[in-house]
Amino acid sequence: MLVGALIFGIGVIGFIARRNMIVMFLSTEIMFQGVLINLVAMGLLHGNLKGQAMGLFVLVIAAVEAGLGLAIVVMMYRRRGNLDAESWRSMRG
Amino acid sequence: MSQVDAKRRACSVDTESERTTLTDTLVYLAYAVAALGAAGIYVGLPKDSRPDRRGLFYILLAVAAGVFCLVMHDILGESANHVAFVILSLFALGGAIRMITHPKPVYSAVYFIIVILSTSAMLIMVGAEFLGMVLVAVYAGAILVTYAFVIMLSQQSTMHSERFRTAFDYDRASREPAWSVIAGFVLSATIAGIIVNREWPAYNAARAAALSEHNTLGLGTLLMTDMAVSVELAAILLLVAMIGAIAIARKRIPHDDAFVGGKPLGEAGRNAAPY
Repeated sequence: MLVGALIFGIGVIGFIARRNMIVMFLSTEIMFQGVLINLVAMGLLHGNLKGQAMGLFVLVIAAVEAGLGLAIVVMMYRRRGNLDAESWRSMRG
Repeated sequence: MSQVDAKRRACSVDTESERTTLTDTLVYLAYAVAALGAAGIYVGLPKDSRPDRRGLFYILLAVAAGVFCLVMHDILGESANHVAFVILSLFALGGAIRMITHPKPVYSAVYFIIVILSTSAMLIMVGAEFLGMVLVAVYAGAILVTYAFVIMLSQQSTMHSERFRTAFDYDRASREPAWSVIAGFVLSATIAGIIVNREWPAYNAARAAALSEHNTLGLGTLLMTDMAVSVELAAILLLVAMIGAIAIARKRIPHDDAFVGGKPLGEAGRNAAPY
């Protein structure tokens, strides 16, 4: 479970630090991995399969997020010609 | 990690105070190791001004990994299963770190595959074989292919070159490395502290074996009886996401330079013709 927490933390670092939008989305997938490990381990400790079932749903959410996010990334790339998250600064309020 | 807790509890049931001091030192040791690893990540993140400090990065990471190994060995003892778990978790952590520090997205995706494979191996090891297999199939098979497509669609010029030479500016310099490392370190330290301090139910080997015996069968039964509504909701979510992704990606979005003096930002997408 500590491994899961550490992987989650690394994902957070990557998400904040990197400016390439594809790598940012990969970092969110890393965070999903950490959560998944923790869910399975906790389900194992409690002696039921609900942790694994929740892990399956986490997988579904990850797939949905990857699909939608990458569609948005493709659209933004067509529009700006690069993948820099900083080039969309004008969206800040 | 479950075996770790069980082992630690089994090691020190005799005196309560001994257990708490052991836990305390473990917590501080874990914090120290994590801080070392955080420093290594900070050094390794791509930065504009100081291009090459990989040696320091590798040294720090190696020291952190070594201390991590020692701590794990101290907790675990001798069983081979635990050693495999430690090696797999080191693979996962190293792959994750290298993924977020590599300047090229293609290699990041490859390192992400390492993380996935070691995670699924860990899951299979603890008896969650269905989830492990699904992890490989869905992540390494489907999601990573999608990522590879998008990476190939969006950058051609960085492929054949030296590592840093023609990498894009936004891949070479990371944004706010210090603050992001601090944020991630504090967050994972908080989660780890909660996990260590909480009283988990003791790891029951017999129960776990019973769970992993008919793992897929039990999981399917659980999903189709208790969680049937959630399964339907997940299916609807997938459908909606598919429709949304197609609707977003099928418009012919022109480059922003075409609108220099023209319409406001939001108008461009609305009026774009589909492919």
